[in-house]
Amino acid sequence: MEYRSNRKLLVLFSLLALLLLSVGGAAAQDPVTITWWTLASAESPEPAIRAVVEAFEAEHPNIKVDVTIMAESAYGDLMNTALGAGEGAPDIAYFWESPWLPHTLDITDRLEADPDLSRDDYFEEYFNNWATWNDRVVGLPFTVGANFVMYNKDVFDEAGVDYPTADWTPWDYIEIAKALTDPDKRRWGGDRPRGPFRAIWRNIGATKPYSDDSATVEGYFNGPDSVAAYTWLWDLVDSGATPTPADIEVLGTEGTGPVDLFIAGRLGMATLNNGHMITAANAGVNFGVVPEPHVPGNERYVHAWALRASIWAGTEHPDEAYEFLSFWAGPEGQRINMEIGALMPSLPAVLEDYPDADSDYFQGFMGVLNGTQTAEWRASHPCWRGAVIRAVSDAWDLIMLGEIERDEVQATLDALVEPAQAALDDCVPRLGG
Amino acid sequence: MRTDLARPELGLTPAQQRRRSAARRRAKRLIAHAFVYIVMTLLAFIFLLPIFWMVSTSLKLPQEIFAWPPDWIPANPQWGNYEEAFTKYPLARYMFNSAILVVANIVGGLVSVPVIAYGFARFDFPFKHVLFLLMLSTMMVPGHIKLIPLFWLYQRLGLIDTCWPLILPAFFGNPFFIFLMTQYMRTIPRELDDAARIDGAGSWGILIRILIPLCRPALTVVVVFTFVWVWNDFLEPIIFLRDYDSFPISVGLAFFQGRYSVEWNLFMGATLVSILPILIVYFFAQRHLIGGLASIGIKG
Repeated sequence: MEYRSNRKLLVLFSLLALLLLSVGGAAAQDPVTITWWTLASAESPEPAIRAVVEAFEAEHPNIKVDVTIMAESAYGDLMNTALGAGEGAPDIAYFWESPWLPHTLDITDRLEADPDLSRDDYFEEYFNNWATWNDRVVGLPFTVGANFVMYNKDVFDEAGVDYPTADWTPWDYIEIAKALTDPDKRRWGGDRPRGPFRAIWRNIGATKPYSDDSATVEGYFNGPDSVAAYTWLWDLVDSGATPTPADIEVLGTEGTGPVDLFIAGRLGMATLNNGHMITAANAGVNFGVVPEPHVPGNERYVHAWALRASIWAGTEHPDEAYEFLSFWAGPEGQRINMEIGALMPSLPAVLEDYPDADSDYFQGFMGVLNGTQTAEWRASHPCWRGAVIRAVSDAWDLIMLGEIERDEVQATLDALVEPAQAALDDCVPRLGG
Repeated sequence: MRTDLARPELGLTPAQQRRRSAARRRAKRLIAHAFVYIVMTLLAFIFLLPIFWMVSTSLKLPQEIFAWPPDWIPANPQWGNYEEAFTKYPLARYMFNSAILVVANIVGGLVSVPVIAYGFARFDFPFKHVLFLLMLSTMMVPGHIKLIPLFWLYQRLGLIDTCWPLILPAFFGNPFFIFLMTQYMRTIPRELDDAARIDGAGSWGILIRILIPLCRPALTVVVVFTFVWVWNDFLEPIIFLRDYDSFPISVGLAFFQGRYSVEWNLFMGATLVSILPILIVYFFAQRHLIGGLASIGIKG
């Protein structure tokens, strides 16, 4: 009898245990793992990346982040391969290339429903130009970047030249560059722009290569303001006060700016960015920061950018991916990167706590951020970079190589209107503007 | 008949004449050697200049690197750059990873290439020439074109983020090496095979005991080329590996190239250390390597 009641009790306990196990199993689900591809850089070094993951996982125990840290030069190939294969892309990554945009997840609704984060938390222009595409929110702007002119105070002092001020013009730039140039020391006064229709083009009469409706090149690319800008470039090249493209290629960090020559004191002025600014500060260079020159009375433009942090459209965990994206590219993640690395956050409320916020160069940088971004036009006119710039590259090359005379600039631009119009007409149906 | 030999020089005995002409020949040879050595020294200096610049840059401060006039020997060498380079990124780990990949690929190549080449060089089978041409034609396909299909394949096989995509292909033969080895094996007389067969050796025995020992120069080419290619390979590791600690040194070096600037001094220091294994391997293998390549070229 006793034996039978024990058996009943055993069966009862077993059933109860099974019930508890099943309830417990449902409650303690396996954590979701999301993949994140990112870059190690001076602004966002590996320890900062690890710290972001650690802080996020502590806040979200049900989400694990599998991070891949890549080198800058490897990132594009990796993304192109994964997106090209249609599988294996990460849940979250930088989607900075325009062809990657169609692969991003639309997070408009998620951001609007987010009680902790809003587009108003970011610098407005950076958000509009770098986080939206075709009226959709396709990411969050991570960090801020902008071009400005860095000037080496020691070189200026040695040459007895006054430091440039924010009200300087493009023609002041040439005169100062000439005064700073010293062939005996292999020193140039200033560098050259790295492409047409960036800040200085816009600052000389708001020049655009074609009409806002993407219909007409005639009168824009070869219009008086554009001719003035190209002529300014001709004068700069002719002054001998700037290194040639070959000099930059051999001696400097080609592409994003000749920061190496600037740090070595062989460039009195250089159009660089906030990443270069940190590099120069760490190298102990005595420098100042001033906006790119513009014509008084005209609107001031700045060539600026952000890194677009996005969710892959093919993700299987969009909710968890958004949780992480809003953490990493939100105030907490960008603050961690600012404190451990040297990131300049895209959120004004975080950026104001920047460790060197009182320094002259940081104040100069903040002054630049207020300019209207060249990306405002460029982002809505993808045919410029997609097609037209190649059609008109002869003008740039001929001037850079000193192959044409000053009075030939107008004729050179006129001759390129037809191929530019053809390139634009061909591109608009594909890219829309 | 050479008349100049019959022309006696005034006042000299034939023995003195022989000594004098010998001395002239020695002097001419000496001048020729001296000229060759001077030219070779100059060329060596020119070729070593980039290495010297690398050493010099690795010991400089950032602001000294592009300064004018350049300081070839920095006044205050920054030996700490090497320590910083190796602590900033796990370069020692990356070099170890590269060594693992190199060894695995060499083993794969040494196992697969002679076997496949043996088949092409010594056996007749249907479509042999077509298959050989097909194999050769794969050399013409640029590597970049294969990346996406390979990525898709390894993704499906669950091998992404493992070292297998970087090792497995070596065990299926490399067309360039197969071609070299096939050509080399064809130059080895078949009589050796026949003699071994009479002595009781089978096909595998002939390959292992006769042909492979005779193919040592060609195998040296396989080893050295595999070493250099795998050590320097950048593209495939970045596509197939994910774990920060599993990268090879070629990827590790790329971390010094930032978005906006390059840490030239650290980069040069790390690069210098990373090329040492290649220099050491080449130093010890150069005689076999040059001999192997030359014999393949002549005999093939």
